[in-house]
Amino acid sequence: MAADIDSAPAGLLSRLTEVFSEILRPQSEHQRERRRIVGLCLPFLILLLFSGIIPLLEMFRISFSEARLVTEGFTFQYYEQLIVDPYYRTIAINTLWFALATTVVSIAIAVPVVHALEKYDLPFESVILTILSFPNSLPGIVAAFMIIVLFGNTGLITNVIAAFSGRSPIDLAIATSVSGLFFAYLYSMIPRALLLLRGTYAEINTDAEEAARSLGATPFETFRYVTLPQIKPGLIGAFVLVFRTALAIFGTILILKSLLVWTLQIDREIAQGFNIAQASAMATVWFGFVFVFTLLALRYTSAEVSI
Amino acid sequence: MWSFGKGSLSARFGRPFVKLVVVATVVFLSLPVVLTFISSFAAEWVGPLPSGFLTFGNWNDVISGTDVGADVSVGSSLLYSAGLAVGGVVINICVGVPIAYAVARYDFLGRSWVNVFAILPLAPGIILGIAFLRAYPDLSTSGIALVIGYSLLKSPYMVMAVQSSFQSMELQRIEESARSLGASWPRTFLTVIIPNAKEGIIAGSIICWTLAAAEFNFSYIVYSRGTPPLSIFLYNNITNASFLNAAAAVSVFFLLIALVTIALQIVGNQAAVRRL
Repeated sequence: MAADIDSAPAGLLSRLTEVFSEILRPQSEHQRERRRIVGLCLPFLILLLFSGIIPLLEMFRISFSEARLVTEGFTFQYYEQLIVDPYYRTIAINTLWFALATTVVSIAIAVPVVHALEKYDLPFESVILTILSFPNSLPGIVAAFMIIVLFGNTGLITNVIAAFSGRSPIDLAIATSVSGLFFAYLYSMIPRALLLLRGTYAEINTDAEEAARSLGATPFETFRYVTLPQIKPGLIGAFVLVFRTALAIFGTILILKSLLVWTLQIDREIAQGFNIAQASAMATVWFGFVFVFTLLALRYTSAEVSI
Repeated sequence: MWSFGKGSLSARFGRPFVKLVVVATVVFLSLPVVLTFISSFAAEWVGPLPSGFLTFGNWNDVISGTDVGADVSVGSSLLYSAGLAVGGVVINICVGVPIAYAVARYDFLGRSWVNVFAILPLAPGIILGIAFLRAYPDLSTSGIALVIGYSLLKSPYMVMAVQSSFQSMELQRIEESARSLGASWPRTFLTVIIPNAKEGIIAGSIICWTLAAAEFNFSYIVYSRGTPPLSIFLYNNITNASFLNAAAAVSVFFLLIALVTIALQIVGNQAAVRRL
């Protein structure tokens, strides 16, 4: 019996050493190719290990720590807190519905825009493309500032509405309300959705659409029954990635402060009393949720992802 | 008429409606940018539109630094962020080009998962920032933690840009020709493959540099003292400085992005321009 138990790890170990020695001293061209693949992937894996996996594991460990500033002991108290405290439950629900709503709206806007860019002859198309992709490189704090410019107390849209309705701009300013935040999310999410969907739209088979039209389908029917099935994998992929983006937004909400979402609360745990264990527990939950969500989406849907 | 679909609602109103959405989106995304830039030259903004043109006072405050709110000048933050971002880009080239080649050229077990990990960011800035706080507490005051974090956060963009270059190359043929002419494999990779992917590498570097210089969430959590990175400088301006000073600070950033976009257009990588 004892021999049996020993032999399994020993067998695995010898297999591993075999693989390593093959990689270090390849005999055949096949083994040399394998060595090249490992060599090519190694720098990335090292970066992933030191700047991704080790810090995240450290974060995972401290989220169970009993002591405040050093990793000591083992407790579930911070996770219990997240489950039993209605305060955190509200935050979780806020985060999810807001991210879901903004994702749906930004994709709903991005689809017609990409459709027009691909199918119509728009004037100044390259200028439009540049404008539409410009916000992709703006950090969230700038997106928040853009919303203040439009909808703040001195904002242009606020003042235009105030001039027409005769009400005070202060009452009409929505920049720091939840609807202002909604626009701020859209400001960073629409360009991202556009970018993701453009790749999908470029691959559509236009012959089928022309055939549908000439057979008497209306433009909407053509879109519904011919175009939509073709872009479905891209749409799901875009949905997954834009939803991830929405969950990760932090700078925007830090400026506008109108809705307490998960990322903002993580910062508050740190800023108010440096409760790093609670912040780490929240960050771990965030990471686990998004990781599992992405894996499931890639595994069980036809989602195609690219950046 | 009806059978041909000409009279249907979507035939009559579909195209105008779609165009309206395009116009609204373009206005929504571009109007605040233009307004910010214009108002940065204004003396005051109390009514619907800024007034008191043309003054460089706001720009002067941003460039030379006031002692209120944002207490340093933009120059030092810009230089500091530029340096950190260059560090991140160097790491990105070293890790991104090889893995992009491995995925594009070879077929191996787990290739698609390697690809997913290479092109999807592992964790966003704020989560990685929290992780860095405890993992590397001593590094957070220096720029090293920022450089390492930027390089992981932005590496997907490098991998994507280089991959798009590789996709248009016949990698196997190029590699085999070079090998059959007597070049060793490392030499083939360094002197034949990499120079051919130059365009993608340059475009990827420019994108990664810009995004690293603009990274806020990670910088905000990890940065503790010393010269603030550019995004922290912007944050200080937006939260503490006067509205028009903030407009000038944000405009500095717009100019930077505009320059980078032009640089990308000169490099001629349209796909990369869109990705930015």
